[in-house]
Amino acid sequence: MMRLSRQTHIALLAGMAALLILAGCAAPLPKSPDELHYPVLDFHVPDVETLVLANGIRLYLKENKELPLVQMTAMIGSGAMTTPKEKTGFDGLFGSTWRSGGAGERSPDELNAYLDQLAADLSTSLGPYTAEVDLSLRSEDLAKGIAVLGDLLRRPTFAAERLDLARSQAQEYLRRQNDNPGAISSRLLMAALYPNHYLGYSPSEESLAAVTRQDLVDFHRTYFAPNNLWIAVSGDFERAALLRILEENFGDWARRAVPEQTLPTLLHPQSGSVQVAAKNLPQTSILIGDQGLTKDNPDQYAVRVMNYILGGGGFNSRMMREIRSDRGLAYSAYSYFQIGRRLPGPFVAGTETKNASVGPAINLTRQIMQELRDRPVTEEELQLAKESLVNSFVFGFENTHSVVSQQMSQAFYGYPADYLAKYRQRIAAVTAADVQRVAREFIDLGRQQIVLVGNPQEFRGELDGLGLPVVDVDLDKPR
Amino acid sequence: MRLTHGLIILLLGLLPGFAGTALGSPTLEEKVIEHQFANGLKLLVVERHDTPIVSAYITMGVGSVHETSETRGVAHLLEHMLFKGTETFGTTNYQKERPILEAIEKAGSSLDALRLQKDADPARVAALKKELADLQEEHKQYVVKDVFSTIYSENGGVGFNAFTSKDQTTYLISLPSNKLELWALLESDRMKHPVLREFYTERDVIREERRRSYDTNPGRQLYESLVLNAYNVHPYRNPIIGWHSDIANLSPQKTRGFLHKYYAPVNTVIALVGDVKAADAIALVERYFGDIPPGTPAPNVAAIEPEQTGEKRVIDIFDAEPRLAIAWHKPTMPNKDDYVFDLIDQILGSGRTSRLYRALVEEQQLATSVSVYGAPGSRYPNLFVIDAIPRYPHTTAELESAIYAELDKLSNELVGDAELTKVRNRLLTDQLRQLDSNAGLAGLLTSYQSLAGDWRYLVTYKQEIEKLTAEDIKQVAGEYFKAANRTVVVLKREDAS
Repeated sequence: MMRLSRQTHIALLAGMAALLILAGCAAPLPKSPDELHYPVLDFHVPDVETLVLANGIRLYLKENKELPLVQMTAMIGSGAMTTPKEKTGFDGLFGSTWRSGGAGERSPDELNAYLDQLAADLSTSLGPYTAEVDLSLRSEDLAKGIAVLGDLLRRPTFAAERLDLARSQAQEYLRRQNDNPGAISSRLLMAALYPNHYLGYSPSEESLAAVTRQDLVDFHRTYFAPNNLWIAVSGDFERAALLRILEENFGDWARRAVPEQTLPTLLHPQSGSVQVAAKNLPQTSILIGDQGLTKDNPDQYAVRVMNYILGGGGFNSRMMREIRSDRGLAYSAYSYFQIGRRLPGPFVAGTETKNASVGPAINLTRQIMQELRDRPVTEEELQLAKESLVNSFVFGFENTHSVVSQQMSQAFYGYPADYLAKYRQRIAAVTAADVQRVAREFIDLGRQQIVLVGNPQEFRGELDGLGLPVVDVDLDKPR
Repeated sequence: MRLTHGLIILLLGLLPGFAGTALGSPTLEEKVIEHQFANGLKLLVVERHDTPIVSAYITMGVGSVHETSETRGVAHLLEHMLFKGTETFGTTNYQKERPILEAIEKAGSSLDALRLQKDADPARVAALKKELADLQEEHKQYVVKDVFSTIYSENGGVGFNAFTSKDQTTYLISLPSNKLELWALLESDRMKHPVLREFYTERDVIREERRRSYDTNPGRQLYESLVLNAYNVHPYRNPIIGWHSDIANLSPQKTRGFLHKYYAPVNTVIALVGDVKAADAIALVERYFGDIPPGTPAPNVAAIEPEQTGEKRVIDIFDAEPRLAIAWHKPTMPNKDDYVFDLIDQILGSGRTSRLYRALVEEQQLATSVSVYGAPGSRYPNLFVIDAIPRYPHTTAELESAIYAELDKLSNELVGDAELTKVRNRLLTDQLRQLDSNAGLAGLLTSYQSLAGDWRYLVTYKQEIEKLTAEDIKQVAGEYFKAANRTVVVLKREDAS
């Protein structure tokens, strides 16, 4: 028998009531969704237990006995954002060598063999703001898994030959960075959106070569401390046993001062431009972008609704409808705002179309954007976007581990405590005037960066009408 | 067999742990409620009440293998067209819309026929194009755009999608569980009264999809070429999406023909996984889908691929760094050798301690990545594939030799006990991980029901795997990994060595 929570019992009762109604009538089938009556959906944001250990480790716990598995995410609250330009690629090399380079008493090969024998999944990464380990294992192996986690966080080896291997892999990736048009356009767009900034840099042969093992060791030594560590655990574990094992592996790790990281100043691109990278392909990858916003911006709810209508709402969005569904110009057409945690994330609109229809596709996208600035959205569109965002909210909670790890990262980044609880209410409060206001703030056609990767012979002439400087990018040049 | 690359599915039910560690937890076999309706429709339900959501999968046991040379690409085009609505949904007035749809079809078909003529009169082509465009413009007044998507979205649905494979076609959605009846209303109407509107525009969309997914993507291009060249006769060789000329010549008539021939309850499996009661679900499906006529079962493909009589080698020219892919013919499930290949797949290609990763990536450093998987379908004898990306300055030729050296070891030496235990453990645990999501489980259930004829393939899998020995692996490797049974494709630039 599975464990049922209180609210699920209520939902079940509601389901049974629906069945009684169904069984009781042989009436003709409803023809329209308007004739359907839905039981009330009783859903509350699930609770996650939080506690702080004596040495400052913050824990986020939620049990779920459905499967005999445990999942853990350990997060160090310092990241790669401060990496100097000449060492671009440090983040990838750190993340990779942290996992592959051995830990504690185990050599790289021994660690791999040990984890594979447990059928455990372990991955590590270094992002702009945090360093993370993800571990999934069978519940019977919990103690072994936490011991490995302790080794990785406290005693990583960063074996030199594994750093060399990671570097040679990264160099091969560089050689291949122009194989896929979508990868090229993303790289060029990020460089244009974040000039002279970590968020816009991509590695070069030289910058990869400049990263030393000592850099990895220093980063670990500087930032890895219990008072800078956050751990989320979900799945099939017993709370008391978990706390005891954590104590055994982390209890003697003493607090110490961790330096604050100063985020590099972000400049806004001065003005818009069009970059064209020639690649002899039958279709062009089109990206249009700008800097967006951070989670501290109270307009993020209006932006979510606006973006849904622009290109975030799939077939319900204007981009998908007009570019794909009405005209058959593309298979995919989308937009998104990646809401930045501390610095503004990118706002991107994209599509791919045959070279001959690049002009029309860009013009249409920009027309849709201009329209959002010029006129309030219709009541139907507004309602659809809001209903969709509000009613699908429950799907953020299907996976127990994403519930715990999400609450952990929200606490780390300083989201308001009622962020999740109020989310639906805040979306529901967005008006058409709000949507137009944020469209005017965040959509600026003169400031946007456009990137085109494809065969320009068929569209080059149409770019002049955009009123933006057009720059040709030589893909063979900068390696 | 493994259903798709990266989606390892094995052995659900016999694992005592499937439903939790609590005593008396039901196994998967006990948790799946199965119901067969009078019209041949099959329903599988798994109750999971943790979150008030449900995933619904509808799988038709019909795919691109059912196409002919005249209809390549039609299974996938039809899947797209079934998002365009019905006689009730997606129209402001079907009675008034219908004559225009007929006129569009007439003009479109004439235009297609004219284009195939050698010396078509350009003036007539232009006139027909204009006529078609005018009719399409006139049609717009009756269209309610993308109506299923709108209705599902405003009700909180996520992941509304479909996919077409060689063997089957699946339509999926996840909804808040109080909206299950909405799913039944929309999906049953989509089976009963679909209308293929906006046909010619959608054809253009699919050509853009082909450009995006294959023509501009070196990895996908290599795969397409590998499968095409590995088969001489069996329809597995044809790309699901079709070639450009195939797509450009598909008609509403051919698409309707495919729909009416194959989309029927006898070919359909539904899985509902989530916060539903099985009894409610059965009653609901009976009420909405129970009156659809059974239809006729999709026939098996008659073509049998003759035994390959020599190695095939193909060069694919593309503006990208070199890549390599190799395929060997093999039997499919439930043949015993197919289970053996699942173990071989793990031994060679799963995880950092797998043989190919260690040899090619870590020790010899010839490659940046190696993948091992089965393709391109599962209902008919298929392929065991290894693809790899060389690391400069090493060549695809060096990589190929190193791969064969590892395969020779497998053919000549017995796999040790520890390694066998490791791969069995990995299969078992990865499978548990896959059960985590409602959608993942629903997809496994409809796929195996459709492909293997019984979802319990998942349940008996563990027993079958445990019967296998190191001797079996050695024997199968020796039998299939022969030069005469393989197809090798190298993708590279024209000027590359």
